[in-house]
Amino acid sequence: MKIHTKILVFFIFSSTLVLISSAIPPNELLGIAPEDEIYYKGLWSSGTIKCKDGSKTFTRSQLNDDFCDCFDGTDEPGTSACPTGKFYCTNAGHRPLTIFSSRVNDGICDCCDGSDEYYGKTRCNNTCWEAGKVARDRLMEKIVIYEEGVSIRNNEVVQAKVSLEKDKENLSKLKNEEKVFKRIVQHLKDHKEQIEKAIEKERIQKEKEEKKKKESELKEHKDEDKVDFAEKEFEKSNEDHKDPAVDVAQNAHLSHDNIEQHTAKKEESSDVTHTTKDIDSLSKEDLGREIGSRWTGKKTEHQHHDDDTINVDNEENNEYNTETDEDHEHYEENDTNDHMDVQESNDDSSSSHDYDPDDDAEDISDMESTNSPSLVEKIQQTVKNFLVTVNPFQTPVNTSEAENVRKEYDEASEKLSKIRSKVSRLTKKLAHDFGPKKEFYSLHGRCFETKQNKYVYKVCPFKQATQEEGYSTTRLGRWDKFMDSYGVMLFSNGENCWNGPDRSLKVRLRCGLKVELSDIDEPSRCEYEALLTTPALCLEQKLKELKNELQFLNKDQMQLHDEL
Amino acid sequence: MRSIVVLHHFLCLLLLLSHLNSVSSWKKEEFRNCDQTPFCKRARSRKPQHCKLIATDVAIQNGDLTARLITPKNFEQNPDEDSSEIASKPLILSLSVYHNGILRLKIDEDPSQNPPKKRFEVPDVILPEFESKKLWLQRHTKEVINGDSADSFVVYLFDGYEAVLRSDPLEVFVREQTSGNRVLSFNSHGLFDFEQLRVKKEGDDWEERFRSHTDSRPYGPQSISFDVSFHGADFVYGIPEHATTLSLKPTNGPGIEHSEPYRLFNLDVFEYIPESPFGLYGSIPFMLSHGKSHGTSGFFWLNAAEMQIDVLAPGWDSESSISLPSDQKRIDTLWMSEAGIIDSFFFIGPKPKDVVKQYTTVTGTSAMPQLFATGYHQCRWNYRDEEDVKNVDSKFDEHDIPYDVLWLDIEHTDGKRYFTWDRVLFPNPEEMQKDLASRGRKMVTIVDPHIKRDEGYHIHKEASKNGYYVKDSSGKDYDGWCWPGSSSYIDMVNPEIRSWWADKFAYTEYIGSTPSLYIWNDMNEPSVFNGPEVSMPRDALHYGNVEHRELHNAYGYYFHMATSDGLLKREKGQDRPFVLSRAFFPGTQRYGTVWTGDNTAEWEQLRVSVPMILTLGITGITFSGADVGGFFGNPDTELLVRWYQVAAYLPFFRGHAHHDTKRREPWLFGERNTELMREAIRVRYTLLPYFYTLFREANVSGVPVARPLWMEFPEDESTFNNDEAFMVGNGLLVQGVYTQNAKDATVYLPGDETWYDLRTGTAYKGGKSQKVDASGAIPVFQRSGTIIPRKDRFRRSTVQMENDPYTLVIALDSSGKAEGELYIDDGKSYEFKNGAYIHRKFVFSNGKLTSVNLAMSTSAGPKFLSDCTIERIILLGHLTKSKSARVEPTNHVTEVELGPLQIRTGVRPSVLTIRKPNVKVSDDWSIQLL
Repeated sequence: MKIHTKILVFFIFSSTLVLISSAIPPNELLGIAPEDEIYYKGLWSSGTIKCKDGSKTFTRSQLNDDFCDCFDGTDEPGTSACPTGKFYCTNAGHRPLTIFSSRVNDGICDCCDGSDEYYGKTRCNNTCWEAGKVARDRLMEKIVIYEEGVSIRNNEVVQAKVSLEKDKENLSKLKNEEKVFKRIVQHLKDHKEQIEKAIEKERIQKEKEEKKKKESELKEHKDEDKVDFAEKEFEKSNEDHKDPAVDVAQNAHLSHDNIEQHTAKKEESSDVTHTTKDIDSLSKEDLGREIGSRWTGKKTEHQHHDDDTINVDNEENNEYNTETDEDHEHYEENDTNDHMDVQESNDDSSSSHDYDPDDDAEDISDMESTNSPSLVEKIQQTVKNFLVTVNPFQTPVNTSEAENVRKEYDEASEKLSKIRSKVSRLTKKLAHDFGPKKEFYSLHGRCFETKQNKYVYKVCPFKQATQEEGYSTTRLGRWDKFMDSYGVMLFSNGENCWNGPDRSLKVRLRCGLKVELSDIDEPSRCEYEALLTTPALCLEQKLKELKNELQFLNKDQMQLHDEL
Repeated sequence: MRSIVVLHHFLCLLLLLSHLNSVSSWKKEEFRNCDQTPFCKRARSRKPQHCKLIATDVAIQNGDLTARLITPKNFEQNPDEDSSEIASKPLILSLSVYHNGILRLKIDEDPSQNPPKKRFEVPDVILPEFESKKLWLQRHTKEVINGDSADSFVVYLFDGYEAVLRSDPLEVFVREQTSGNRVLSFNSHGLFDFEQLRVKKEGDDWEERFRSHTDSRPYGPQSISFDVSFHGADFVYGIPEHATTLSLKPTNGPGIEHSEPYRLFNLDVFEYIPESPFGLYGSIPFMLSHGKSHGTSGFFWLNAAEMQIDVLAPGWDSESSISLPSDQKRIDTLWMSEAGIIDSFFFIGPKPKDVVKQYTTVTGTSAMPQLFATGYHQCRWNYRDEEDVKNVDSKFDEHDIPYDVLWLDIEHTDGKRYFTWDRVLFPNPEEMQKDLASRGRKMVTIVDPHIKRDEGYHIHKEASKNGYYVKDSSGKDYDGWCWPGSSSYIDMVNPEIRSWWADKFAYTEYIGSTPSLYIWNDMNEPSVFNGPEVSMPRDALHYGNVEHRELHNAYGYYFHMATSDGLLKREKGQDRPFVLSRAFFPGTQRYGTVWTGDNTAEWEQLRVSVPMILTLGITGITFSGADVGGFFGNPDTELLVRWYQVAAYLPFFRGHAHHDTKRREPWLFGERNTELMREAIRVRYTLLPYFYTLFREANVSGVPVARPLWMEFPEDESTFNNDEAFMVGNGLLVQGVYTQNAKDATVYLPGDETWYDLRTGTAYKGGKSQKVDASGAIPVFQRSGTIIPRKDRFRRSTVQMENDPYTLVIALDSSGKAEGELYIDDGKSYEFKNGAYIHRKFVFSNGKLTSVNLAMSTSAGPKFLSDCTIERIILLGHLTKSKSARVEPTNHVTEVELGPLQIRTGVRPSVLTIRKPNVKVSDDWSIQLL
């Protein structure tokens, strides 16, 4: 049945061709596409037809007479006379091609059948058979990839649906938990405060009693004051620690350290700026470099790079709290939810992996940077233990109960903050645009790498893209959005280029069975481009088109064979 | 704490801003001003009547009028304060007369007095055949002027013109014979001063320091200065290269706050600014004047040392007692140079084109470019690798935009070693060039004069072994800093070294070069990053013990010459070289093309590019252009489009950009803008037959392709100061658009005849300003009375246009007449010099168009044949409605109908068109409207 239709179509097609061909001499039809031939029929019946734009009429003798009568090129499909015209080459054995009229008889073979060069000054061999074969082979390869790709994609679409549901479920669960813990924390807090008030009250009362004693036993009570003071200090800092504000304070403290560092660096670089202005004091060689760098920006860029690093440090510090929380949470999330991802990234570890290894590294570095506060904590703990053991005073309030409440409160509020960050992270994730069918969902939380010369380029969809050289990392951009109807990923607002724009990266997406990054390019300074293959781009519609095209090519082939 | 963080960010920002600021503006303080230049400061401070020299022993010798210039006894005891050092040895003056109104004045030290050193005379600038144009003077007549105590000596100069040597006070001038009116005069204000070389005495401190650099000045002061007056002048022009207006504003005198003189000192100026008299990359010490009363005249001083020129505002000499013939419209100028001799030329004009012809009689006319070079060039620092090249090339085809040449900047080399390739980025340069050539396209690579000091680099090895480098003051190879780092500079002044350099362009020497590869010379001022004013120390030594100070401005010229000779040599003189140079000097026009260097993507820079290019044109260098879009910075899209629209009508048409800029090839700004830029480039290509004919005119006569309006309309005072519009040949007037959001433009259309809008054919009356549409393109008009040849078919490049038919556009004047020319040759070889070309004149009158042969008839010699026909003749301003036309000698009748002026979708047929006359462009024929 299928064969029958094919033959039928072929028959209709070729018979129309024959019909028209018998009515119009073929050389006059030069450059006209078959589907367009019908338009010119009137030239043979009535002798004149209109230009397609309706501006004028022309006669049969004006068709392809190498003089442009229609400004849209209707009368000169086969010559170069009209600047806006198009020439159609049949290219039997290969795809037909429509070229600019400017290519007709210009001495260059543009059509594989050579029909565009008929003046005889240039001889063109007919290469359509060979070219057609290559094109068909390539097309078939592509179709094979697409066929598999489409099924992977369909799988991923289903998978993404399930995962997204899970995510949503998780989110609502977490939100409930959040509510519950909020209440618990509030409750514990109230309780804790009550106890503390009671302790305080007791203490004040005791103090009054002590005062009287003190007055008589002034000498003996010297040590006691000291301890009291120390304890008070401890309590304060302990409390602060539970307060989110302390993090800010610590952070600020950190920043302060950094600022001192920065100021030092800044002084260095401003020294350089100074010398930039006072170039006279440079050595001959440095002077040459300095002046040359005005054009190239090279040396100064290096200088600037330091600045960039500073900025990065700074930003990281600012984001310290949220980042670590998020990463931490993310780690757990992966443990529970993203088994598939982990597996996959293990399979293809050279080019793609999850965020985690990277983020772990960040965690470690962050730990290092927050080393001192935790040390302080330890010392405080020791002091506290010591105090508890050596405290000579007995209070009517049960200290162990107070401790328990305090501890419980600590644990609960920690848990709450974890849940909160989980909620915020998951909300953020769900806010991402994973494509119309959520086909890009599986790219979330993964990174893809490729090495080019000395650089390693790393693209983490929905997060960021970087360029690494040794230990230095330059951010090419943060995740921005999809462009060109999900054909391109845009990462923007990367690190600034000296005397140039903020870096950015456009990742063109193409159908492929594996997710692989390649073809890194920098067409303009600091504007990067790359190619990422992914099954997400293997669209069924496109597969259909490819198959149609192959069918068309094969049909053409058949025809050629028949003619031969 | 927070506030500290904020403060920190703020400081970072400040630091960044100051950093950017420190690199993105012109470093004025790094260049010497006149006050920091002792010879300039001395010369500027002199008062009129400073010169006490008188001419004695006046005689005719070897066809010249000669004299000795001496200081009379009574002044010798009483020298000027500032010139106390002047030796009292006589100077030798000679006046020579050449064909067509050229007077040459030379003044130098007397060689018989054994000066410590021979002063430098610039070699290889004056055409060898110029000497043959000398008129051998036979006699002089004597005359007493203004009751002088001594005689003046008068010689014949040209029909109606005389040259006069006034001996006391010393003055040389050209005057009209009948009226006696001066045209040009030398030392009329007594500012002439000539510091003679002398032996250094103990205690003489001749060193000069500027910033960290010390100039040893072993020969001491040797500067020259003098005043030149242009009589009957409303404006003066010329003396490039400055980013400033076409007519030169006064730099000194009443009403001038504080201005530097125009400086001529070839410099690599980082991010130059418009409206500045500071010297840029090239120097041509040639000034033209133009005025309603006299017309045009010119003065040229052949001197390659640093020069400073003041244009003096009227009244600058009000305190002086002398009175020249009361000539209201006189412009006085002060010329100052650090070294050399006076070898100067007075050109009498009197028409603008006469002066240019006279100047190019001395220094040569522009070389005939290859046809491809007149097309569009695409450049960028840098097209990175072979794939990049392939992509850019194919994008032009994809968007059906013609272009002819793709350029590679310094990054294509192996570590900035010229004549080499970065083999990672360009593994197969021959293949790449051949691929481009298969579509008719050429490639240009950059070759600079600084040579990397690397023992493994063959050029360096040979140059250092043979002693081909410029030496420092101690005699060692001068070691400067440029792109490759530590570099030395080829001593291009020596013809032997130039010949060696030229040989480096042989295909066997320049590995990876092919016949479709041409050359770009950059950084040839020379640019030395760690040298004084980013150039070479003045006490560096060249061949013949010539100090760099004496020839600085000509260094780049010799380099350009040697490179051009190299391209000539590699094809055994059969292929016209194409070499673009940034530095230039008088004579550069014979060797290639120049561009206005590293401009910036700003509207004001687009505006100033027009007077800069027009100035180059009237001072001999017709083939010049500015980087389309501006080299530094990112042009906004509208500016880029406007830049294409203006530059398409300027002689050298190249897009170029700094490597920090965004890509800006014409297809990157959306469909509409692609269309506009494509249209601009296409219009250029349709007009190439006209351009090529104009390049031939420049090659023959020196008259530039792009002309100031006053060159075509010397009587129309409204044009004298107009540098927003210009003429392409005598037939097209182009009005640039230099502002954002311009929907229309006001155009001054000179003369009394009608002008026709190039796109629509709409007629506009001349002699007044017209407001015209400028939305889709800049306003361009065809002048009535002209015939312009076009090729209306669009191709990939000029190569594919070779056989395309012509369109003639005839714009009739009020008497129904028009004329035009068409020159065609093979577009690449020198066969045209042997007569292998077609040169037609088209004359239209009484309803009949006739094609007349203008080519010299050489029965022997090679012939250039063309089968090209004329497919369409468009008549603008033809009143009678004809239906057909008779073609002779074939005696056939062809249709006349209404057609479009330019074939574009959507235009209406509105102009009378002779359809398919199909006459051959090489034949004699006539077409009579019936």
